[in-house]
This record gives sequence, C-alpha cells and structure tokens, in this order.
Amino acid sequence: MKRTLLGGLAALVLASLAGANPVLAGHWRMDPAQSAPLDGWHKMDLVIGLEGSQVAITHRMQWRSTKLEATNTFDTAQPVSLAHMFRVEQRHMAVYPARSGVTHATAAWLDGGRTLRIAAEMPVEVSQGDTVMRIYSEYRLGELGDTLTLIELHSSRNEPLVYVFHRINAEEGK
Amino acid sequence: MKRTSYLVALVGVLVWGVAAPRTWAELKLPARAAHIGAAAWSIQFDSDWRVVGGLPEKAMVISLQGLANRLAPQLYIMQAPDYQWEIPGPLYEFYQRRYQVRFTEIKTGAAVLELFKGHAKGYVVWDPQVSSSLNVAFTIAGLEDAVVVTADLIPLVEKARLKQIDDLRGRYTGQADVQIYQDAYDRYWARCNHDAVMLMGGQMGAVMVPAMADIGVAQRMFFEALAANPKYPEETALERRILAGVNRDGYVFGWHPYSKDTEEQHVTLTSTYGLKMEGLYNLPNLSFNCLFTVTPGFKYANRHSVARDAQLTPGPKVYISFVQSDQMGLSAWTSPDRGKMPFAWQVPMDWSLFSPAALQYFYESATPNDYLIGGLSAPSYMYPKHIPADRFAPLMQEAGAMMQLLDLPVLEILDNSAADGNVGNADLPKDIVDRYYEAFPDVIGFVNGYGPAHTRDLRDSRPMISYDYYIDPNRPRDAVAADMNELIALNPRRPYFLLVHVRETNSVASLVAMITQLRGPVEIVPLDVFLKLAASAKTYQTCFEYPDEVKHFSGFGK
Repeated sequence: MKRTLLGGLAALVLASLAGANPVLAGHWRMDPAQSAPLDGWHKMDLVIGLEGSQVAITHRMQWRSTKLEATNTFDTAQPVSLAHMFRVEQRHMAVYPARSGVTHATAAWLDGGRTLRIAAEMPVEVSQGDTVMRIYSEYRLGELGDTLTLIELHSSRNEPLVYVFHRINAEEGK
Repeated sequence: MKRTSYLVALVGVLVWGVAAPRTWAELKLPARAAHIGAAAWSIQFDSDWRVVGGLPEKAMVISLQGLANRLAPQLYIMQAPDYQWEIPGPLYEFYQRRYQVRFTEIKTGAAVLELFKGHAKGYVVWDPQVSSSLNVAFTIAGLEDAVVVTADLIPLVEKARLKQIDDLRGRYTGQADVQIYQDAYDRYWARCNHDAVMLMGGQMGAVMVPAMADIGVAQRMFFEALAANPKYPEETALERRILAGVNRDGYVFGWHPYSKDTEEQHVTLTSTYGLKMEGLYNLPNLSFNCLFTVTPGFKYANRHSVARDAQLTPGPKVYISFVQSDQMGLSAWTSPDRGKMPFAWQVPMDWSLFSPAALQYFYESATPNDYLIGGLSAPSYMYPKHIPADRFAPLMQEAGAMMQLLDLPVLEILDNSAADGNVGNADLPKDIVDRYYEAFPDVIGFVNGYGPAHTRDLRDSRPMISYDYYIDPNRPRDAVAADMNELIALNPRRPYFLLVHVRETNSVASLVAMITQLRGPVEIVPLDVFLKLAASAKTYQTCFEYPDEVKHFSGFGK
C-alpha cells in the first residue's frame, strides 16, 4: 500500500517536473516600454527558480533608493498557503495585504511547460474592511526563450496588467 | 524720475506709519498695512539660475530686496514663465488691481542697485566655488545690511560707493558643509533672529535658486543647508543644535537640501523641535508680501456647498472627492480648467501672516467648485507624530485660530515621517487621532495622508478619512481610471467614500476627461459635502496606524 502511494506521488512529481521548462529559470528584467506602468515602483526584476515541483518567484523591486526583495514559492504538485504573498501592487491605492490573511494559490504548467499559470486568492484590506482579490497570472516564455510575459488579471480589475521581461545574466541581476 | 518716485514712497511709508520691523516677533505685531496706492518697483528675472551664469546678479538683487523691503514693500521680483511657483505673476497683477500698487519696472540688476543702494551699508563677497558660502553671505547681509556679490560684481558695487564688509573667498575652500556652517554659527548665530531660521537648501550644485532669501535677509535669519540625515551625523548634530536654539513657536523657512536628505527626514526633525516649516526655498517676494494686510473690508469667505450643521443622507453611490494639497500657488490654480469639477485646495494657513494678499487673491478668484481647507497638520507644515506632547495643544490652538480667520472647517493632516516619499506609511496612531479630535471640536471633518493611508474614524459628526488614492501626475490617465475602478470594485458597499489626493502637477483637464471612464454609480462631490455624507453612513472601517506598521524612517529620537 505504502509503495503504491509513494509510486503515485513520484509519478505526480515527475509529471509536474516533466511540465517545467528549465529555460524559464533565471533572471528577468522588466522592460518599461513594453509593460503596463508600474505604480510606486520604478524597476522590477524577477528571479525564477525551479526545484522539483516548486517554483520560487523572487521579485526584486525598486522605488527611488528603496529596494525590496520578496519571494513567493508555489508548487505545481499541490496547492500552497502563503502567509505573506507578495503582489506587484499599485502602491498609490489603499489596498493592503490583510493582516493575518493567508493566500491560497495553485500553480500549473501549461503549453508544454512554456507557461506557468498561478491562481491565487489573496485577502486584502480596503476601506470597507477585508475582502479577497482573485489574481490569475500567466508567465509565458517567448519562443526564443529570451522574453517572459507576465499577464495578471484581478477579479476586481477588468484590464489585465501585462509586464514584459527580458532575460539578463546573474551578474546583471545583482 | 526714479529718485523722485522713491522719495514719494518713503514719504508714503512715513505717512502710513509703517515702522521698520527689527525682528520677527515685531513683524507679528500689527505693523503691516494695506499700502493702497503705494509706489513700488519690479524686476523681471529670467530662468538662468546657474552659479556660473545668472545666479550672482540674482543673489545680489534678492539680498537688496530683503534690505529694501524692511521699511516698506518696495521691490517685487517677477519670475520666468517656467518658474516652479505660478503665483508671482497673478499676484503682481492683483497688487495693481486690488491695492492700486503702482509698479515701475526696473530692467537690470545694476539699476536695482542704483535705486536701492541706500538701504545697504556695504557688500559681502561669496565664492562661487563654494556654494555654501552664498548662505553665509546671506546671513552676513542680514546682520550687516550688505548686498551679496561675487568677485565679478565688485566693480559694480564699488561704483555705487558701497564698501566691502566681508570677503568669503578662500575662507571655506576645501571645507565640508559642517565646517562651514559651524564657523558661521560661531561667528553669527548669537546676533541672528532666533524666531526663525533659513534652511536654504533645495538645489545646491551648479544651479541654485535662493529666491526665498529676501525674507531671511530682511529678518536677519541664520542661513544654512545642513542635512537631517543619520548618514551625516555631524551635520545633523549641528542642525539639531541650531533648531534647538530657535525660539518656541518659531519657523524654519526654506527647504531641505535635496542632495543630502529627504523632505520626510527634515520635516520630522523640525517637528521634533515643535518648529513650523514654511517652504519652499524658491518662494519669492515674502519680504514684500508680508508687509501687506488684506484690503479694507475684505473678509476670508470659503465656497461652502453645505451648511456646517447640515445633515445629509447619502444614496447607494460611490462618492468621490478630489483634494490638492501641494501648496497653493505652485501650479494648477491658474489652469483655465480650474472650476470644471469640484476640487478642494489646501491653504497654507500661515500665509495669513506672510502673504495675506496672496490668500486674498486665492479667495477672490475661487470658483464655486473650489473649496479651501486648512493644513498642513498644524499652523504650517509639521508631522504630528513628532511634535512634542506639550507643544501639540498650543500649536493646534494657533491652527484653529487661523482656520477660524480663514473660514476653513476642514483640516488636512499629513505625517509622512514613516513614509517613503508618496508611498508607504502615512498613518496616525490612535493617540494622535484622539488629540486632533480634542483640539478641533468645530471642524466638519479631517482628511489624512498624502499617498494613501488607512487611518479612518468617525466621532460625533466628524469623520476622519484618509486618501484611498493618490494620482501620480506621470501615471497614464487610463491607468488612473483603472485603479479607481478597482477601488470601486473592491469596496462593494454603497455608499463608498473614495477620497483622492491630486498632485499639483496633474492637469485638471486630464482629470475631467478621466472621470468619464469611471464605472458605477459615481458622483463627484465637493469635500464638505463628501464629509457630511461620510458622517451619516459609516461604511468605512475605523482604523489607525498598526504598532508594527512598516516605518521607512523611524526618526531621530530625542
């Protein structure tokens, strides 16, 4: 029985790994000219790490001289609960992470591993109290592997936010 | 002809009985007058403020302006069309129209010197290689009745038979600012006016715009541009020593040095000493403006849309109100589109002391859609979380008196000490909110923040509402509309009260167009109506600064 379970789990992990495109891993820098305008941030880099079924997306943000680094780790094999999920927020809006709020998120590989889909339900605090923002994101790898497009749709916003990134090497990413 | 006019003006001064104010405290006394029909002179500046270009002559004229305007409002400086402040031109016209001031234009700095040299006892030479030496020269100018010049201008002042009082060339070569200002402090501080200090910061490089120096010279202030930044501990220590020496209820004129600290850091420090900040470093003509009262019979009257004691019942709508709080007179007021939508404007209340005519100009040119509110946090710009506890009530009493004089039933509060520019923590802890409610029983409400914040409350009929949105002037308008629509979606109860802060460089026309993209049962209302509606339906959560809320800058301690 145990062997069967372990076997099944291994198959699941292998299946999720099989979906991952290793080219997605690495450093990416947002191209402001091709992207939705950031609000309250000037720069955004992503560092994507793949390990097993886990996908770690590190955001390196800059506002004036302020730098912030935050990592969200998702799992394509199972849903995750994140106590402090980072969101590329429009910082001039009074929308804050809800205190004690936990974000539930699922992740999956699509399009033969070229697209990472993340669906998250994130509690946020607004003027009228706490509410949940559904955030649907796709990270789409370009055909040549040198561009990454993030499309983010909020349940509260009709217009998707589209950010285009170009690959940079680790040295440039420092 | 000019000399004749000058004599007429001097006689006029004697007839009006305007005494020469000797200290800031004296200036607070009723020595001002309406100066109806006064003769005065003006000069048009261009936009060249380069140290190696137009600055030296401008600095000379500004120092002379401070000296000439000690006796009476005599010299007014017009700025180029692209100048940061928009007020000099309209106010020039207003003085002529409402005060019947008869301006004679002077074409050159040399002509200004010739006309007003009698107010100077000599000159002091500053060193363009050491930009801080200009501030030291301004200090000396106030104390010794001197004009400030560079070496190139010495022949001009010598020709005017002015004698050299001091020469700073070489004195500060190679020295750091802290050494320069320490030396100046040791030499001059004791003799300076201690009711105010001139923080002549702003740009401090190849371009400097010390247009506010006139009031500093006129009032014999100590000029400096020290940092309030832990990164520069020696400078900050000297700055603290200077601020500690300013008299209770005193002012810090000017602005922080952009290259060495932030607005948030410096206002935090000035507030720590209970001092009021009056900016900016490039605000011209205060020595002229402060000698005027309003015209006879004028009374400040706001454009109210609702009675103070009214009770309004909101409908199932999204109520939006816009507030502009970046110092009236900087821009936007002269936009031809002003008045096309309801707007609240934060009045620099201490201009009732320093620029009554400018306030009168704003009040008389307000449209029914322009509602004026008090600010910022106090009689002038202060961060309440850092005001000493024993100074809070007296300062707010002073603010309350100004609000009464200026017919302002709403107070705007801003404490950006923990914020990161216009993002981050602009919230107030409950004890500060308690103090405001206690200090202002007669307001119809408070607004809070600069960037967004979540401090909200309602006590009796006085709501305190923070900005739910800040309109970055660089943000595309469709993105602004999308942001506001998202806020509307995230706050589904109706009524929803959406308070918006508008940076002064936003085009009013672009906002008029943007609001057509908003979705839902939206109604744009004047701020007094907004607050009255918010007092009747509390659909917002009471909230204060959380104890563990992120502080970008935690302050200087005691």
